[in-house]
Amino acid sequence: MSIGRPAWSSQFSEDELEALPPVPHLDDMTPAWAWGDSTGQGVKVAVIDSGIDADHPAVGGPLSGYVAIREADEEIIFDTAPHGDDFGHGTACAGIIRAVAPACELYSVKVLGAGLAGRGTVFAAGLRWAIDNGMQVCNLSLGTTKRDFFALLHELADLAYFRNVMLVTAANNMPIPSFPSVYASVISVACHDGQDPYIFYYNPHPPVEFGAPGIDIRVAWRDGGWITMTGNSLSAPHITGLMAKILGKHPGLTLFQMKVILRALAANVSNK
Amino acid sequence: MNDPDQGQGPDANPEETIARQAAEIAQLREQLADEQFAQELRAALALAATVSAIAAPISHGGLLDMIVATAAEIIAARAAALFLIDEESQELVFEVALGQKAEEVKKFRVPLGHGIAGLVAVTGQPMAISDAQSDARQAADIARGVGYVPHNILCVPLVHEDQIVGVLELLDKQGAPSFSTGDMQVLGHFANLAAVAIEHSRASQHLAELMDEVLHVVTPAPGQPAPELRQRARTFAAHTEDDAPYRRALEMAWLVQQIVQQGEHETKACQTILRGFADYLRTRAALSGEPGTRR
Repeated sequence: MSIGRPAWSSQFSEDELEALPPVPHLDDMTPAWAWGDSTGQGVKVAVIDSGIDADHPAVGGPLSGYVAIREADEEIIFDTAPHGDDFGHGTACAGIIRAVAPACELYSVKVLGAGLAGRGTVFAAGLRWAIDNGMQVCNLSLGTTKRDFFALLHELADLAYFRNVMLVTAANNMPIPSFPSVYASVISVACHDGQDPYIFYYNPHPPVEFGAPGIDIRVAWRDGGWITMTGNSLSAPHITGLMAKILGKHPGLTLFQMKVILRALAANVSNK
Repeated sequence: MNDPDQGQGPDANPEETIARQAAEIAQLREQLADEQFAQELRAALALAATVSAIAAPISHGGLLDMIVATAAEIIAARAAALFLIDEESQELVFEVALGQKAEEVKKFRVPLGHGIAGLVAVTGQPMAISDAQSDARQAADIARGVGYVPHNILCVPLVHEDQIVGVLELLDKQGAPSFSTGDMQVLGHFANLAAVAIEHSRASQHLAELMDEVLHVVTPAPGQPAPELRQRARTFAAHTEDDAPYRRALEMAWLVQQIVQQGEHETKACQTILRGFADYLRTRAALSGEPGTRR
């Protein structure tokens, strides 16, 4: 009698085992290798926020898709008609991403705007939409402090990891946990005081793993305006943009490979 | 032996006497009811005051004003504002405004999501703006609030338990071009203090509302309110805070609160010490024959 192979081992059988390209030596990972002249072309990036003003010069071109999510009569409504940005926050993030990865495919997932009621549910629905619709990188310059959503968002963050959808989250500077920025399956970013979008730091003591520009950054705002702003909200899109650039040159990278590349290229690595 | 005429006027008629006595009895009953009510009210208020004093050492808005003013002073800001979220209207309402027109702006509201305050309330992310005047729309809300257009803004959310209950905002950094991330962290600590104070003041507001309901219920006859009694109760409640013994009790409660905040062990130790001291005072009073409750 033969003993059946456990289901999770089948992919390691001789006929199914996947052959992978070699991982370059860590010291060989340079910006030229990592992104070179990549523009992020072909990489799907979702900005889960207050919407995006596609006409803003900082966004620099049309979006690839829209979805505005709201809750009405205990139902979640997904509206895919083009929308703008009443608040400016999503446009600021989109502008930063496009400054680094000008040709990335931007999707606006609008979850802010309909007031606070049901916001956690709408936020989770936005994340679910991004996972189900093949987004590769999601920028989350927002989160929820509500413990009620801990489990649901944790499940979605894990699902994103398994589907290789990379979640980039802004850490909260307040001494309060903000979900999903405190999960291990996301990239959590806080600000440093530099202005160069290609200079970022690695922190070996999570939950906040990366530091990117976020202090006195001139960003796009609503109604075609600009403001100079400080906040981790602006650091996350810097890393999102870089990741889109890297994925443009190296499609198919997984989140842990991405973390290794970012770790190798961090400005606080001793060989830099 | 009783003289049948004693206690009666020479020209009194029995019917008038009965009516007068009935009125006197009714008045006496009312007085007694009032006194009993006043006593119960006093006891209830004393309890409420103690509970709220332990929970919030300086009552009501005073504490919030103090937190906001201290934050503005320590971080060196020209003005400050604290907004609370009105869940029903989905707006931010000024609770504390330190500036030239502080009083008149308290009715002013900001829709959630708009301006920096509204945005911090919906994203939960602290933010700072260093060129507020270059885009006046960002500053418009707060400008109307404090009576001038600020150059820079620092805003953090107020989170109690896991809910965003409002935002705390500082305007115009003094002695530096703009607010720093260090300022942001410090303001975050003040925001935590404010959030706790708000919840406690809400709790004591609930006590006040409860009191009002009680007053309503004890109104003698349905449809016939006793305005005098209610007025007296309100006046009593209002004067309670000016009362010297009350203030001493408040100070004591504040000390106890500081100990309670240290943890369970400290609280138990405090209870043991205070109980021991109270027992000692009672024993000493019993031995000397003095009343043990007050010196």
